[in-house]
Amino acid sequence: MDISLIGLAAPIIRGIFLGGLYVVIALGLSLVFGVMKLINVAHGDLVILGSYLAWAIMGWLGIDPFLSLVVGVPLFFVLGFFVQKFIINRTFRISLDAALIACFGISIIVQSLLQIIWTPFNRSLLTDYRLNTFAVGPVTIQLRYLLNFVGGLAVMIAVREFLRRTYMGRAISAASQNEPVAERMGINPKRVYSFAFAIAMACAAVAGVLQGLTFSFSPASGPPFLIISFGVIILGGLGSIAGTFIGGMIFGLTQTLGAYLSGGSMMIQMLAPYLLVFVVLSVRPQGIFGR
Amino acid sequence: MKIPRLTILAPIAALVVLALFPLIGVPLSWLNYLFSFFIYLALANMWNLLAGYTGLICLCPHAFIGLAGYTMAIGTQVGMPFQVGLIAGAAVAAIFALVISYPVFRMKGIYFAIGTLVLPEVLKQWFNYWSPVGTVYQGGGAGYSVIGLAGFSLENKYLLALAIAAAAIFAVYMILRSKLGLGLTAIRDNENTAASSGVNIFRLKLSVFLIAAFIMGIAGAAYFIHNPKIQPAGGFSISWLLLPLMATVIGGEGTEEGPIIGAAIVTFLRFLLADYGAWSLFIQGIILVGVVVAMPQGIAGLLRQVGAYRFPQKLFQAAEGKIRKT
Amino acid sequence: MSETAVLSIDGVRKSFGGIHAIQNITFEVRAGEVLGLMGPNGAGKTTLLNLIAGVYRPDSGRILFQGKDITRCAPHKTCHLGIARTYQIPQPFTDLLVRDNLMVAAKYGNKRGDTLELDEILDLVDLLKQKDTMAGDLLTVSLKRLELARALASNPILILLDEVAAGSTEAELPRILDITRQVREMGKTIILVEHVMKVMVEAVDRIIVIDKGEKIAEGTPGEVMKDEKVLAAYFG
Repeated sequence: MDISLIGLAAPIIRGIFLGGLYVVIALGLSLVFGVMKLINVAHGDLVILGSYLAWAIMGWLGIDPFLSLVVGVPLFFVLGFFVQKFIINRTFRISLDAALIACFGISIIVQSLLQIIWTPFNRSLLTDYRLNTFAVGPVTIQLRYLLNFVGGLAVMIAVREFLRRTYMGRAISAASQNEPVAERMGINPKRVYSFAFAIAMACAAVAGVLQGLTFSFSPASGPPFLIISFGVIILGGLGSIAGTFIGGMIFGLTQTLGAYLSGGSMMIQMLAPYLLVFVVLSVRPQGIFGR
Repeated sequence: MKIPRLTILAPIAALVVLALFPLIGVPLSWLNYLFSFFIYLALANMWNLLAGYTGLICLCPHAFIGLAGYTMAIGTQVGMPFQVGLIAGAAVAAIFALVISYPVFRMKGIYFAIGTLVLPEVLKQWFNYWSPVGTVYQGGGAGYSVIGLAGFSLENKYLLALAIAAAAIFAVYMILRSKLGLGLTAIRDNENTAASSGVNIFRLKLSVFLIAAFIMGIAGAAYFIHNPKIQPAGGFSISWLLLPLMATVIGGEGTEEGPIIGAAIVTFLRFLLADYGAWSLFIQGIILVGVVVAMPQGIAGLLRQVGAYRFPQKLFQAAEGKIRKT
Repeated sequence: MSETAVLSIDGVRKSFGGIHAIQNITFEVRAGEVLGLMGPNGAGKTTLLNLIAGVYRPDSGRILFQGKDITRCAPHKTCHLGIARTYQIPQPFTDLLVRDNLMVAAKYGNKRGDTLELDEILDLVDLLKQKDTMAGDLLTVSLKRLELARALASNPILILLDEVAAGSTEAELPRILDITRQVREMGKTIILVEHVMKVMVEAVDRIIVIDKGEKIAEGTPGEVMKDEKVLAAYFG
């Protein structure tokens, strides 16, 4: 196997760019976890739902998937708001475990719904520019990877500014750090939860488009993304957006380098991130930047 | 002669009656239905033991089931008799549980849940590419068949499943009334206090985890004796997690009779919706969310709340009294 | 470690992130004595108890219990060896009966053979009548006594009492002192963390005062109360 520096450059750059996708996916999960201490096990499936929605709108209206986000993002926002308000908030009154089980139920609902509507076969968001490549020095990179990176940065900045500059954003941050105190300052936790979940869903819509451009997907594609995004936020450290970014890069690199170093083995490519998640969970659950 | 309590006699009588079903000419479709019920019952009992009594929300039953099934299938492919394969499958599942317990039990709460969720996904991918034995048409995505089952009739399978379900119920019964049961309840209640009172949390959790893995493994392998083809998607299907989870939640987490009630309902649902493919899962998902939101204590919990057990309890006591007098 | 010492803390340090909770503490606890542990809020008293019980591991230093090095022992192990502890804010098994709370400690914590009469323990702390009550239904004051009972049920040699008198009325204090005395008469050694001065002064043989993670005084109650450093730590 020929491992040259030039040879490594391509998977490294690709890995970093791919990381952008994982950042977008992980941000939604991170927001929900930070505020409610709940891992939404349906998160991966909701991202795939986003991919399917973009696919459907593309097929129906013939427009670019990014344009479909004009419909997708608000739709997902509203959907997330109501799911949190009517389902998950109710389960919090019972226990955190009940909320987890509810999320699992949602995961099953989404997965089976996708299968009913769109059959179990693989789909892709096929656009004209999907296969475009461009050159970075001697290395050719596919355009969609760059889009992931740009998308990742954009969403990350958007979310960070939202958390800093808007009332609801600051309320979400406050509740994430210390809910009882936030409550005493007049912040309604349940309302904050609903907005946080809504934003997470909006991120999932964007992630769905990016993901659909990068990989082919099927109704069962959700859980791998859940696991990876969980790994990202754990690795990056909870509560740290910068950490999520780094975490995303690391996971992207793990996949691309894993594929490259194993000579293109699909199995390694799929398993390497899982192994990383498992190792991080057992060795250093507070992550790199974590407190 | 000391007459044992009715609460022990009744289940034993039920067990005997059920065991006699094949002999008294009960229709084969019933046996088929009950076969599934017994398997689901064993799985639900174990999931309830982990989640309801130990506080371990284990999202990896399909890892144990798939592993056991594959062990048995591959075993029969190389000439192992399926009976041995059954035990071997359960053993492999338990060994797997042992190996992963060291990293996995370092994770608390939600981390544990996701940590366990990773495992079946990893195994699914692994078996998608792994082809240790057989022709080029076997292994990997195509999976394996279980062979050497000639002569093992439906009646035999039925009795096997009944034995497994009975063993599962018995195991839970004995554990809950033992020192282990007290320790588990303590752990679920307050882990720190339990530790400072001398409970070796890791060892107790491991014990339950191993028992659950073994019995889930054997139940899963038994299923694949009846449906003798295993593939990565089916063997490690999330449906195997949904099943005991749903049964436990609907029936009533943390109760002894809950999983039995829940398993009955889930079996009924599955047979009812069997022809509807993905709709079946969809409806089950909706029911799960509905129950968790509206009736989280499950049916058994509900019955307890409305005091539904008081009447049969009085009846039982009166009956016992009358029997003692004669 | 000297002949009569049951517990020996030697050069123990513990930091959490940037906070030095315990900075080089050394002292001994003699067999059968009641040692008071005093200090302003945040001084590190509960951290010290947690270090002894095995909940935290010291960054450096050693802890010896009856000659055995327990520095790296887990909580259940220290319990087996004979150290029991109560929590400042009671941590009972809320969904278990009072007697089952003790049963857990008795069955899992007592590795030294002699079986105890749980009823006697309950009687000692005036909880015998509530034997079959759910721990979650008890009043806070009763929960404190349940903490002590649970600690006793594991048949300990050393008991770490964390503010057992907090929240009690004036009228209840004599009873607490009495109970402490009876526990001592059983032959147990006690480390007592307490803010209620009356209990501290009357129940203990010696006091150790810590402030900001360091030992600043050690001696009889009389000596310690007049110590300048102690007064400075409390009153600035």
